[in-house]
Amino acid sequence: MKHIKQLYTFIFISIVLAIAYLFFSTAQIQKTLNKNVENIFIQGAKSFAENINEEITTHIKNDPYKELKKNPQMQKRMEHALSIIVNETYKYIFVLYKDKNGNYRYLLDGSKDKARFNQRLSVDKELWDKVYTTKTPLVINQKKLDNLWITYLKPVVMNHKTVAIIALDFSAELPQDIYHAIKPLNKIFLYIFISIGLLIFILIYQSVANIKIKKDSITDPLTQAYNRNYLRDLLKNINIAKYQIMMLDIDHFKQVNDNYGHKTGDHILANTARIIQNEIREDDMLIRFGGEEFLIFIKKSLPLPSLAYDIGERIRKKIEMTHFNYEDKELQITLSIGVACQPEHFKTVSLAIKHADEMLYIAKREGRNQVISHATHQENSPESDKRSINDVKAALEEKRIICFYQAIYNAKTNTIIKYEALVRMREKDGSITPPMRFLESIMYTNVYNDLTKTVLDNVFTQIKKKKIQISTNLNFSDILDNKIFDLIIAELQEHKELSSWLIIELLEYELIEEITIIQNRLLQIKEFGVKIAIDDFGSGYANYSIFKQLPIDILKIDGSLIKDIDTSETSYKITHSIAVLAKELGITTVAEFVHSKEVLECVKTLHIDELQGFYLAKPSPDIL
Amino acid sequence: MRALLSLLILVSFLFSSDFKTEQKIYGVIIHALLPQKGAIKVWSDDKSKEKILSFIVGVEFVSSPKEADFLLLSKGEKVQSKGLTFVTNFRLLEAEQNSVIGGFFWQKGRPNILFLRKNLQKHHIKLPQSMQEYIEDNL
Repeated sequence: MKHIKQLYTFIFISIVLAIAYLFFSTAQIQKTLNKNVENIFIQGAKSFAENINEEITTHIKNDPYKELKKNPQMQKRMEHALSIIVNETYKYIFVLYKDKNGNYRYLLDGSKDKARFNQRLSVDKELWDKVYTTKTPLVINQKKLDNLWITYLKPVVMNHKTVAIIALDFSAELPQDIYHAIKPLNKIFLYIFISIGLLIFILIYQSVANIKIKKDSITDPLTQAYNRNYLRDLLKNINIAKYQIMMLDIDHFKQVNDNYGHKTGDHILANTARIIQNEIREDDMLIRFGGEEFLIFIKKSLPLPSLAYDIGERIRKKIEMTHFNYEDKELQITLSIGVACQPEHFKTVSLAIKHADEMLYIAKREGRNQVISHATHQENSPESDKRSINDVKAALEEKRIICFYQAIYNAKTNTIIKYEALVRMREKDGSITPPMRFLESIMYTNVYNDLTKTVLDNVFTQIKKKKIQISTNLNFSDILDNKIFDLIIAELQEHKELSSWLIIELLEYELIEEITIIQNRLLQIKEFGVKIAIDDFGSGYANYSIFKQLPIDILKIDGSLIKDIDTSETSYKITHSIAVLAKELGITTVAEFVHSKEVLECVKTLHIDELQGFYLAKPSPDIL
Repeated sequence: MRALLSLLILVSFLFSSDFKTEQKIYGVIIHALLPQKGAIKVWSDDKSKEKILSFIVGVEFVSSPKEADFLLLSKGEKVQSKGLTFVTNFRLLEAEQNSVIGGFFWQKGRPNILFLRKNLQKHHIKLPQSMQEYIEDNL
């Protein structure tokens, strides 16, 4: 919305400037034209005055008054010459001399209202005297006289002395004539101006219409919040490091709709959005994410890690205290809010939104009408010993992310044939933290990538040292993630000669999407000699089609089936069927969770190839 | 409608530059010639001058030349009056130079004022210093 306002202002200023420029440039052109035309006439006047001067100085030697008075014939002839020049432009042409009293009197008059010889004429003495004294011509703009426009004065100089002044008066009608002469040009300017004005009008109309269409396309009509179209564009351009994310949901909104009708529901939605909008700042962005779900991007203007949480709490309280009145009904509602305070740690904005949604889910699950962020959840959670993303980052930097290794035995020979690498965090006090207490907080973040790289480096170091097969755990989502997949390939390239010792265990509890991509990527990994294992088989989403779709080498049967195999007939039969199927498919089987002698003996009867569990060997920081 | 048109013409005439110039000049001339008079009665044989003279402060336009202290003549017709006579063109000034005080007329688009010394003396009129330059001994 802020950008639209800026665009309006920019368009308005541009138009005003363009119109002002056009106006002034047109006025300037007209002024220049007038000046040029005026100059043409003045040039003409100069030329005539020069000719008159030549005529006078040729025939008169010393004193024009005396000589003309004596010679009326010459006077008549000269006046006739002047009268030829008189026309509508040069209205009056006459020659005056200055008498001993300083008054100007006629010597010659070529005008139609001819004055008598030696008749006095009142003139602007100051200017005429100036011409007399300086002996230089002068152009006078006759602003005080209605009938005259310009007077051109030329001194008649004889023996270095001004003896008379030739005057040419321009008719005041001349500017009108000039105006009429350049009128077609003015019309052209007018048409250009109108055309440009019209174009600008169309442009403004189009811009306003476009802005309106654009605004409508990105605005939810009911709540006036942004809609998902806006969110889609925003996700492409947003610098998520500058924001915190808040996901809000109206509690029990379905009941409002069911009990009071959709109109009431709409009223609640519109007013809730209005209240939220009033509680956030102009830089924050409110988006209607779903039916009664809103998403807010809170601009990090203050260095407060809990900024979004605080704003969320303020909104929650405001809504809780609001009485919504619609028709004759009065309702009160509450909001559940999830906050992602550090979205920049997530690989994508979508994952950060997903995290805020997860926090919202927790807020709902734990009683609604509350704000939950990762930090507050950890504080209040019984599992408060979970590590934060910053803890994991610090552990990675301080090389406190390590691997424990659990031996896997050959069921027939009872010898160790490989190890499974299990990630651990060594605390500053030396204690060991298992992955379930720190993996969740870094899932989908860039820290997770760093952790994967650290684990792979550790594994290859051990392979190089011990020359033994080691398996490591990854998720199917890791294979789909371009960054992690590139990282795996880079690691394999770097340790090409050791790759055939590596086994990648993929966790089966994840729902496998985009199977073709996974299939292709696993084949690429296998080209390095890496073996692929499916971990925890029999516990998750996978079905038997997984054998057809993926290039599996090893199947690790889930511990939940193995741990009671000696007592549960069902577990025994399921495990048996999996073992038989795997054998038929030429896939190696591994039984996990072998935790007792009874389980060990039972598993051996099923012809499972390899065994793993606490009864055989506990995970240890070193490979024996 | 006719009244409105008349008003428009009058207003446009009032605002025209030459009208104002002429009015100012007549005002100065009349008061310079008759400085002692309270309300100066003026008369003209030219109806167009009535509008100009009527708006001058301290001047009253009268319908008969006999009542007038100051006469402004444009035509050459003889008028019976004891008032000071002023003309509106050079030809008339030339023709009546033995009796008229002076003239005010437009020539070459410029306002021209002339006072005739001998007639001023005849009426014992002494013009202020600012108007001395317009006095002519002979035409």
